[in-house]
Amino acid sequence: MPEDDRKDATRDAVEREIDAALKEQVTGLPPDQAEALREKIRLRVRKEVERDLLARTASERRAAARLAREERKKEKQAEEGELFQRFNRNFRFQHVVMFTAVILLIITGMPLKFPNFILSRFVINFWGGIQNSTIVHRIGAGMLIYFMIHHFLYTVLTRDGRRDFWLLIPKPGDAKDIVHNIRHFLGKVPDKPRFGRFSYIEKFDYWAVYWGCIIMIGSGLFLWFESIVLRFLPKYALDVAHEMHSDEAMLATLAIVIWHFYNVHFNPDRFPGTLLWWHGQLSEHEMKEEHPLEYEEILARRAGESAEVTNR
Amino acid sequence: MRKFALAAVLFALGWGGLPGLPRDASASISLEKCTLCHGKPEFRKLLVDGQIRDLFVTGDTLKGSVHGKKGCTDCHFDVSEIPHLVRPRRVTCTHCHFRGNQEGAPQSDNVLAYFDSAHGKAIAQGNTKAPLCQDCHGSHAILKAKDPGSKVARVNVAETCGKCHMEIYAQYKGSIHGTALAKGIVEVPSCTGCHGEHKIYAHTDPKSTIFATHVSEQCSKCHSSIAIMGKFGIETEQVATYKESFHGVASQFGSRTVANCSSCHGVHDIRPPDDPLSTVNLKNVPKTCGKCHPGANPNFAVGKIHVDAKKKESGIIYWTATFFKWLTIGTMLALIAHIFLDMYGRTRRLRGER
Repeated sequence: MPEDDRKDATRDAVEREIDAALKEQVTGLPPDQAEALREKIRLRVRKEVERDLLARTASERRAAARLAREERKKEKQAEEGELFQRFNRNFRFQHVVMFTAVILLIITGMPLKFPNFILSRFVINFWGGIQNSTIVHRIGAGMLIYFMIHHFLYTVLTRDGRRDFWLLIPKPGDAKDIVHNIRHFLGKVPDKPRFGRFSYIEKFDYWAVYWGCIIMIGSGLFLWFESIVLRFLPKYALDVAHEMHSDEAMLATLAIVIWHFYNVHFNPDRFPGTLLWWHGQLSEHEMKEEHPLEYEEILARRAGESAEVTNR
Repeated sequence: MRKFALAAVLFALGWGGLPGLPRDASASISLEKCTLCHGKPEFRKLLVDGQIRDLFVTGDTLKGSVHGKKGCTDCHFDVSEIPHLVRPRRVTCTHCHFRGNQEGAPQSDNVLAYFDSAHGKAIAQGNTKAPLCQDCHGSHAILKAKDPGSKVARVNVAETCGKCHMEIYAQYKGSIHGTALAKGIVEVPSCTGCHGEHKIYAHTDPKSTIFATHVSEQCSKCHSSIAIMGKFGIETEQVATYKESFHGVASQFGSRTVANCSSCHGVHDIRPPDDPLSTVNLKNVPKTCGKCHPGANPNFAVGKIHVDAKKKESGIIYWTATFFKWLTIGTMLALIAHIFLDMYGRTRRLRGER
């Protein structure tokens, strides 16, 4: 078979090249390690070459590439450990709706607070003028109101929602965690505090959003339906709502851009950000690192379950 | 042959009859010849519509005006024979008044500005009622605008405009600006103070100084100046508070529907708020706001309109602003401190310290 001959010839050539390259690499290593390394690399390269030779059409090549990706993923998973589902699909959907709404609200709202800032005019003109940007702001507002209702129903109606709500309520232990964490930052304590499902940072974020949503939606609805509001309340009530809307917007934006972005993006552990918001999974490694108490609880529950199964 | 005929016609008309061509003094007709007829006090003409046109002119007519040294035919240059058989055309001031003229007339582009303006365009479109230069500046007794006797002096210009814009003039006369002007206060804006002098455009024209998005800028020229407003005990913060309000911000971003100064305070009939006829009198506020906010009620008038959250007099609004100010400062200081402590800890661990 001339086809097979050609393949063998290629394979031999590749192997010779690998040997030549490896000779330089493994000179410093002890012989058994060098042999192991050589064997490992040779296996991988041969696999690649064979797959490339076998795959003739584009679709075959794509399938091969997918297989390779999955294999790499499996390898990585073995290093990182099991994946834990931290946020369910419903919760991730809420987060996406909320951050889309908040981004729209910030970029259409901030120019109104700082009309003389050089970018403000650009941003307003990007939407086609103030008439359009106010409509976009109301679309964002509608999304945020929807998110608030959705989250309220989620908290009341679903098992996960109720569990998370109780876990998010601040407890005296959180104050201890704050002190412990600051002492850890200053180098007084070697280990960082062991957090449960929600650390004090996440609890703060959650209740900050709660507070922000109530203030912003409340005052925003006042400003949106000013004629109806003024039927029942004097004009200064509207001025108070305007002031609250403007000031709380500033606080929320600063908290998001500085605090939340640091915790999930600029923090060296996370930079430039993880896909937790998309797939909702944490690896075993991350669980042990960031939520050790929850991790232990899950393991204990599993042990209990398996014990039940074996006892039965 | 044709060329000769043309030359003959031109000669017959006289060089003076050709606009734009230089004329020497000898070509003009002396004052005495004109006053032979026009100097008689009863010299007048009965027009077709029954009106009487007074044609009495003497040698003193131009005396004291800016054209005191000019003769009749310097402006009425189409009169080349005495007695003239046809009625002389309307005087064209652009004969001398353009930039680069040799006659010694003031060098200015006002004539170009005029032709671009609402009045100039109306003239160009054939509206015979639209004003030419002489309708505002006067025909024989033209004085400098600085001269208080001039028809276009600040104290007189409203009356001059009012010859045609009668209703508006009546409104203006009753307004705070009009009454102040009648008292002889010169800082007060007359028509030209807001509309411009030669560059007068319709309020729907974006070039206009009183286009919807330019109104606040135009009013604030005086109303944000402490030097001017201080004399009359008027606050200047109204401009700043408007610019910070949603109305002001939207107007700055080009919204034409949002309220500007004149949407609430009126246009020509601006009156002080304690005047019962004022659109911003507390009793009239619901009606004024109701122009844009349907169903406006007396609640619109409860609380200051030009409210400044930074001032303690604003009461609950001031306290809200103060609360949020300290909440923001406190929260952000705590959060930023936490971030820096975290980074400090990370640096320590990276250096291999505990």
